[in-house]
Amino acid sequence: MSTATTEARALDPGVAPARYARGWHCLGLADTFRDGKPHRINAFERKLVVWAGADDKLNVLDGYCRHMGGDLTQGEIKGDNIACPFHDWRWGGDGKCKEIPYARRVPMRARTQRFETAERNGQLFIWHDPEGSAADLDILPPELPDVLTDAYTDWSWHTKEINGSHCRELIDNVADMAHFYYVHFAFPTDFRNVFEGHTATQYMSSKGRPDMGQGGYGDENSTLKSVATYFGPAYMINWLEVDYKGFVTEVILINCHLPTSPSSFTLQYGISVKKPEGLDEKTVQYIAERYTESFGTGFLQDVAIWENKAPVQNPLLCEEDGPVYQLRRWYEQFYVDQAEIKPEMVDRFEFEVDTTKANEYWHAEVAENLRRRADEDAATSVEA
Amino acid sequence: MGLFAPTRQETVEDQRLYLDGRLREIACLDCLAKVKVKKNSEHHTAVQWTDVALGHCQEFARLSGQPGGRPVYETCSRLMASIDRAVAEGELEVGAQDGY
Repeated sequence: MSTATTEARALDPGVAPARYARGWHCLGLADTFRDGKPHRINAFERKLVVWAGADDKLNVLDGYCRHMGGDLTQGEIKGDNIACPFHDWRWGGDGKCKEIPYARRVPMRARTQRFETAERNGQLFIWHDPEGSAADLDILPPELPDVLTDAYTDWSWHTKEINGSHCRELIDNVADMAHFYYVHFAFPTDFRNVFEGHTATQYMSSKGRPDMGQGGYGDENSTLKSVATYFGPAYMINWLEVDYKGFVTEVILINCHLPTSPSSFTLQYGISVKKPEGLDEKTVQYIAERYTESFGTGFLQDVAIWENKAPVQNPLLCEEDGPVYQLRRWYEQFYVDQAEIKPEMVDRFEFEVDTTKANEYWHAEVAENLRRRADEDAATSVEA
Repeated sequence: MGLFAPTRQETVEDQRLYLDGRLREIACLDCLAKVKVKKNSEHHTAVQWTDVALGHCQEFARLSGQPGGRPVYETCSRLMASIDRAVAEGELEVGAQDGY
């Protein structure tokens, strides 16, 4: 323990990178783009157009026509191509202009920026790399067996715009043990991180706080076993085993985002629940909706913090905290050129948090909260 | 330049403390792997691997051979035993300094 007096500590806001992360980014449920219309997606400080051609293949291009800058997201799908509303230039999913109906020939240089696409687990992904590398299919998030079959409920998918925060705030949660108590009203009883290669994982067990009466993490009747892995910079799969009064449900929660500016991002989350056996479809849907609601509430609890906090490049840690500096070092691999990735950014790192002291304190605090509330209730009933 | 850049010199020192402070090299008693370890308490453990150490680890090699490959959550029980031994023999100090 240091007893030296020190100067007041300053928050270093740091400087956010000028670029956006390299890697696979999820745009949402693939089928929502298959309605015969072009779709607009904001990402990486630009507008993208997404459409499905007659061949059913999903395509993603920069949103503005290279002819005179027409907005392709307001265009029309013609065959496999997207047609600009301004002069009907037809662009293919490969980024080439295929046809200009009023012209003798298409200029050879008529090529726009395309994003390589992939579909996994019913979701559409695009590859983003400021260096322009070819998509790395080996690091696509894994397939989830049985999701999209009758064994699981359909994805319940939600989108939320977050303003005033760099998307790294979202990533920081991976290493943040104590916020589960304060923000999500649960006791994190075990907490472990492993960072390796392009993945960062959080293993957590938690139990709801009995003094908050909240759903999700904070339900006192729930214990949770959670494994949450980022596959690349922007897409997390969270495998959850929720034990509610002895009734165990397996839930898969997707947490992904698209950066829209250095201080904003679009958060998307999706939930699919393994249908418990022996229950009718209506009950299963009811359970799925409750979990969707409660984990949605969990995200909103985080959002309230993000929208009001200061950016901090020099977090001050105590010994019960998780490895936020190591997590950020891992995260930086996606913001440097591939040739500049340092070994320590991708080398395996394991961190087991000691939650003993924290839980002793928290249990005492909760007991005190419950006692005070009981006293207040007793006083109220006497008055009445 | 893609980095999240600090704006204060002191931040660089913080990064050094939290990333490297008190990390101590521990050799596996079973194989040639050498990793860097820090223990803030009996239960807390931080292990920094290198590519070379991973290559030496027999336990990880065995896990890599199974269908689906090595699960990332698996740790090496032999290495963990080696860390416990280092603590027991006083080679590895347990207890944090000022939060690092």
